Amino acid sequence: MMKRAVLTLLLILSLISISSFGQKIQHFYNVDKEITVEGMIQEIIMEPRYKDTAPFLVVLLEEKKTQKLYQVEISPVWFFDHDFHKGENLKVKGSLYSPDGKSLNIIAREVQSRGETLFLRDKHGFPNWRGGKGQMKRRGKGKGKFY
Amino acid sequence: MKMRKYFTYIALALILSPPLLADSFSLSFSQNMTNNLFQNRYAEKDQLSTIGYYLDKSLNKFSLYAEGSYSHLFENPSLSYYVQDAGMDFIHPLNEKSAFYFSLAGRGTFYRSDYSDFNYLSANFFAAFKSYLSQTSIFKSNYSFEYKNYKDSVYDFLSNALMLSFDKYFQTKTTLKGEIDWGYKHFLHPYIYEEEVVINGPRYYMGGRGKGNPSGQGQYQYQTLTQTEGQGIQVISLSALIAQGLGNSVGLSFSGMRQWVISGQNPFAFIEEFYAVENPSYDRFSWDGFQLGSQLSFLLPWNIQMKLGYTVSEKEFPGIESLDLEGNLLGIMRKDKRNQIELRTEKNFSRFSVILSYSYMSNSSNDLYFDWNGHFLSLGIEWNMPLGVGQ
Repeated sequence: MMKRAVLTLLLILSLISISSFGQKIQHFYNVDKEITVEGMIQEIIMEPRYKDTAPFLVVLLEEKKTQKLYQVEISPVWFFDHDFHKGENLKVKGSLYSPDGKSLNIIAREVQSRGETLFLRDKHGFPNWRGGKGQMKRRGKGKGKFY
Repeated sequence: MKMRKYFTYIALALILSPPLLADSFSLSFSQNMTNNLFQNRYAEKDQLSTIGYYLDKSLNKFSLYAEGSYSHLFENPSLSYYVQDAGMDFIHPLNEKSAFYFSLAGRGTFYRSDYSDFNYLSANFFAAFKSYLSQTSIFKSNYSFEYKNYKDSVYDFLSNALMLSFDKYFQTKTTLKGEIDWGYKHFLHPYIYEEEVVINGPRYYMGGRGKGNPSGQGQYQYQTLTQTEGQGIQVISLSALIAQGLGNSVGLSFSGMRQWVISGQNPFAFIEEFYAVENPSYDRFSWDGFQLGSQLSFLLPWNIQMKLGYTVSEKEFPGIESLDLEGNLLGIMRKDKRNQIELRTEKNFSRFSVILSYSYMSNSSNDLYFDWNGHFLSLGIEWNMPLGVGQ
């Protein structure tokens, strides 16, 4: 009985995942407006950025050279996958946009910190991040190779 | 057999259906080599090739994903296996500083003939909560539940695990983290007893799954009784980590963990440990001991990422007795000490990533069969094909 339930669950989830759902374009990654900013984290928040999607992790970054403040959009999943703190140095590469002509926003493509680079998008701006996979990996559900 | 048929259909549907309907689709291939496939005293070389796919789709706040991989062993092809995962997850923000994460997933793993007893279906539920207590300190907790149903039902189990952690970042670029974990794994029926009971007259035994003929008043009747008994093992652990950032390009961390078995023990006296096969009696719930680790992460020119790690562990396995090389019980609990060095490099290109990893493990045990060392080399490539609209 339990086996059948598990099998049904796996089947449903597999089939749903390949179904088509509409996707709405909000602001987009413009490769012509790509910049690199190095600075210190001033604040970390979760807030909605796109309609009908999970809220984004937004890091308020103060650039070292100019003291300008940038709102760096990272992605919903990284809120759980990586622990950012106020005071940490980050080097961010991403696309600059300004919805109101005043605030400086960056859609992050690469984030460097502590000897690691997080690749959030490819060079064309398509998201690299994935939904559940990172979480699954963190729970150590891989094969028992290195016990 | 029927189960395998179902999963073949699912795998075909996933591979052949237009992945264009997903947001992202990736293919991966890795080639692995080792000189000690079975991780024991009698080292045996083999190579393992794995080909896999991954696809996902966002739907409002939900993310749906599926992934599958087939691994082929060259010297031991009858151990080859296929793994299919599918799941969905959901992030729910509580406020600007806190959020919940939930995921529900299923997995099916199917080995070829030699390991078919280890074929299983599993269901997992995972819930996590993360909150910024201040801009420099984070509280996290999570709960996970897993049910595994093996072809050989003696390994079936349920497990529950709970984790609480707290970290604090200091202006010196240092992070301190403390964590407590609790886990309970319950093997549902590791012991199966069968006995033939003689019953007289019309009375017959009510317990178990009887096969005898209860009729025939006044005659002797025989009945085979099958009884099962569960067994659990409960662990608790404390961990600490100190991480130091040295600019954006270098990170260094040290970690330590002490785990105690607080009740129960492993139900299986002896299960061989195999490379690439999950040993039901050799997982995070099975041991009492400690583990110390260190890791250096750095970025090389051309944005090549490199990680170098060293881990040492000392573990005892309650319920598992050591044997001599002839298979005689030694009357002592199995105890292992392991040293492991790992090196991993990764280079990301526009559409694909290349990963090279190497590890060396040396395991000394009071069960000489598990006194071994081995080299493990892996070269992988992952090709990403974004299919949705870039946001």
